[in-house]
Amino acid sequence: MKLITFITRRIIHSVFVLFGLSIVIFVISRVMPGDPARMAVGARAPQWVVDNLREQMHLNEPLYVQYYYWLRDALHGDFGISLVTRRQVADDIKEFFPATFELALFAGVIMGGAGIFLGTVSARHKDKWIDNFVRVISYLGVVTPAFVFAILFLLLFGMTLNWMPTMGRISAGLSRPPVVTGLITVDALLAGDFATLLDALWHLILPALALAMGGMAQEARITRSTMSDNLTKDYIASERSLGIPEKVIMRKFLLKPSLIPTVSILGLDFAATLSNAFLVELIFNWPGISRYGINAMLRKDLNAIAAVILILGVVFIVVNILVDIVVAQLDPRIRLAPGRGE
Amino acid sequence: MKVRRWTIIVTVLAIVVMMLPAAAGAAPSNQGQSYTVQKDDSLWLIAEKYLGSGAAFMAIVQATNAKHAEDSSFAEITDASLIQPGWKLWIPTKEEAESLLAALPPAPAAGKRALNITFAWPTYIDPAVGSDFSSTSALCNLYDTLVFPNTKGGVDPHLAESWEVSDDGLTWTFHLKKGVKFHNGSELTASDVAFSMNRLLEIGEGLAYVFLGTVESATALDDYTVQFKLTKPSGLFLISLIRLYVLDEEEVMANVVTPGPYGDKGDYGKEYLLTHDAGSGPYKVKEFPLEEYLLMEKNPDWFGTFAPNAPDEVRFIATTETATVRTLMSRQELEITDQWQTIEALEALDAMEGVDVAAFPVLTEFYLMIHTKKPPTDDIHFRRAMAYAFDYDAAVALEWPGTKQSRGPVPAITAGHNPDVFVFQRDLEKAKAELAQSPYADKLDEYPVEYHWITEVPAEEKFALLFQANMAEIGIKVDIVGTPWMSVVEEMASQEQSPHIVSIYVSADFPEAGSLLKVRYHSDAAATWSQNEWLLDPDLDAKIDDALATVNQDERYAKYRELQDYIVNLCPSLFLYDQVQKHAYQSAYVDWPAAKGEVIPVMGYNMYAPVIQILPH
Repeated sequence: MKLITFITRRIIHSVFVLFGLSIVIFVISRVMPGDPARMAVGARAPQWVVDNLREQMHLNEPLYVQYYYWLRDALHGDFGISLVTRRQVADDIKEFFPATFELALFAGVIMGGAGIFLGTVSARHKDKWIDNFVRVISYLGVVTPAFVFAILFLLLFGMTLNWMPTMGRISAGLSRPPVVTGLITVDALLAGDFATLLDALWHLILPALALAMGGMAQEARITRSTMSDNLTKDYIASERSLGIPEKVIMRKFLLKPSLIPTVSILGLDFAATLSNAFLVELIFNWPGISRYGINAMLRKDLNAIAAVILILGVVFIVVNILVDIVVAQLDPRIRLAPGRGE
Repeated sequence: MKVRRWTIIVTVLAIVVMMLPAAAGAAPSNQGQSYTVQKDDSLWLIAEKYLGSGAAFMAIVQATNAKHAEDSSFAEITDASLIQPGWKLWIPTKEEAESLLAALPPAPAAGKRALNITFAWPTYIDPAVGSDFSSTSALCNLYDTLVFPNTKGGVDPHLAESWEVSDDGLTWTFHLKKGVKFHNGSELTASDVAFSMNRLLEIGEGLAYVFLGTVESATALDDYTVQFKLTKPSGLFLISLIRLYVLDEEEVMANVVTPGPYGDKGDYGKEYLLTHDAGSGPYKVKEFPLEEYLLMEKNPDWFGTFAPNAPDEVRFIATTETATVRTLMSRQELEITDQWQTIEALEALDAMEGVDVAAFPVLTEFYLMIHTKKPPTDDIHFRRAMAYAFDYDAAVALEWPGTKQSRGPVPAITAGHNPDVFVFQRDLEKAKAELAQSPYADKLDEYPVEYHWITEVPAEEKFALLFQANMAEIGIKVDIVGTPWMSVVEEMASQEQSPHIVSIYVSADFPEAGSLLKVRYHSDAAATWSQNEWLLDPDLDAKIDDALATVNQDERYAKYRELQDYIVNLCPSLFLYDQVQKHAYQSAYVDWPAAKGEVIPVMGYNMYAPVIQILPH
């Protein structure tokens, strides 16, 4: 199957998935107990203020009419007003999503880079001390939630050693580069502002590392086990018998096929960091989408909840398509299978 | 060998000669003097020694750099925090130092006095939207009001220099100070005051409830006179004006977004005021990245007076996360913590060097609200039995040291509080005697008491368990149910569904007993979360209304005191304790009036930055 056909089919499927998702989140967010309008204006506001707001948000209409209004506006990029920030949800997303995306991107790089490296080292020195060491670290990484790492890093590097910044995306007083992508590092690079770039990177390290630990451990474990499985395959034995150096076998013939499960998991882990970043964002006072989404849920901020979940849904789908493309590149068999499976 | 010896002698001599002027200059001189930096010296210490004040160190920097231009043996100081032993400095005379300091540009960014406070997000800085703790703390720094609350529960003149009220108590006229400027430079006039009131009433959110139903109209009689007409006489009107934050009409209306929900006024400037201020207050918004922080800077043109070391910048950091707060505190990047830290977290902060916990009373009381219309708590003897059986001392001991048992239905800090009101103390004999008089005495098993506490406030469970244990001692069975806040609000809206007891903290809007008594015991508030008692007592309602309509302060307070006796006689609630608000703060360098007991008992006002001082550290 050609790549273009493949991507087109996936996109058409995704539209249906998103449509279904939108119905589910819409219904769930509207049947949660409590009146969102009342929660927004506070317990002491007079009833007419609540009624006006309900009117404005079409909350008195039947659910399917509300959904019609919502879908119509959402298709125009208008997700309504957030009840927490009191401005357009679209503006909030524009501001908060890049922060988390930047964080997840760096976490993803750490996860993939360090995970695959550790996994390879481990597989190569199977059952040696270094392998055991990496395995212990991996277990720790997998079982420890990201927020524990976040607190640990914060207290160690922020409080005890006092090396790293602990709060926000850049130092207070530093002016932000003009917004192009919303990723401060990229924007600073585009503006040629290296002081800001360094500062932003410095701020990214701890939260990104905390977020990456779990995924990194996962990646290391999976790379290790696939590689050691593949090491017992016949083709490796025949390559060895031909006298090809171990290093070359590892790099050229073993790594590529062994990466398929790792890449699939990495994609999911990356997408998951976007939504799992909540506590890490809270601890490092990171103004991201995850924290925004949880706050929205706690305060029954209907429009924000729907928009955040939808955006995360889109990210999941896009990442999955990307993963499939990469896997197809890694494994010709998948690429060549005509019309079978997705 | 000879050459080497000579070198040493010459060097030593040279050093001695160089040291001479410094040694000679140690005596006070009126000519200025040179000084050679010694190990462990700092510019601060040198300035303190020679100029009498460490803060004058910039004069030494200036004078030395001036000398360096003429004579390169003097050091050039590029970074005042870094001087090396052996450097030669020039110390000016005190007079010279003064003129040098006066000529200095304002302190550079690094030397700014910063006040950082953590807060629970969100913070609304629109006076018609914000009403919670973080919002009111910001509002009182960004905006001015006609009158300003004082520590005695009353008000002082602020934007208004004087005022008078008509005999019927319905017309209030205020005379404004002249020459007060908004942050944008335009003058604050009476029409801005009227506009701010009308905007608040029209939007109806935030603090509007304070004026809704009381204020009929606001009119500017001339540029400096504003008049309010009320729908009914109100003793609380004057103090309620501390919540009328005055906006610049022109700036707001120039920034409205149309179309909006307010007809031809579009969104009434709501979107603009989300991240901008249009005020005249001591601080103005500098940066406001939502969810992250609100940074305010000093308004040098403010009409009021700043304390000598008032902060140049105030930053509200949007986090209450314990680990974050602790780290920031230890790095001195945070001066005052939020009020939501747990007792355990506060103890850890308190143990840090230079950090103390300030605990001061606020207008909040913790009540066990008893349903008076539902068996068995509809019987007064049953209620009195519970009031005698509860262990108040044990309850107070669960809280931060300094917490006191409440005396009656309003906190002791409230103006008009009755200190002589009857206070229940634990006495099991009396409890049993009361219970014996109750018609439910011999069928206690058939009448368990249902006690709801709010799951969002986990600390409340301890009090529920204590109550349950205490009541078991006199044979009353208590069922404890942790209930989410929204559900509590819903069940309290109906007399049938309200539980026998709910434990809730209720705050007064104003530091006057009447404002709390109204929401706690008046029938108007019976179906709200601030009342579970369902007293529905027309006599009491009339008395409360009468007290609140009394414009004369002394008479009004006297009526409040009578009301408190009346309510305690009905035994409708257990009055557990007056809440203290707790903040850890950098006691080593922050001079905070509230921590010293100068508490303004109005939400937000203890974060009023012009009176908080950041000392050198």
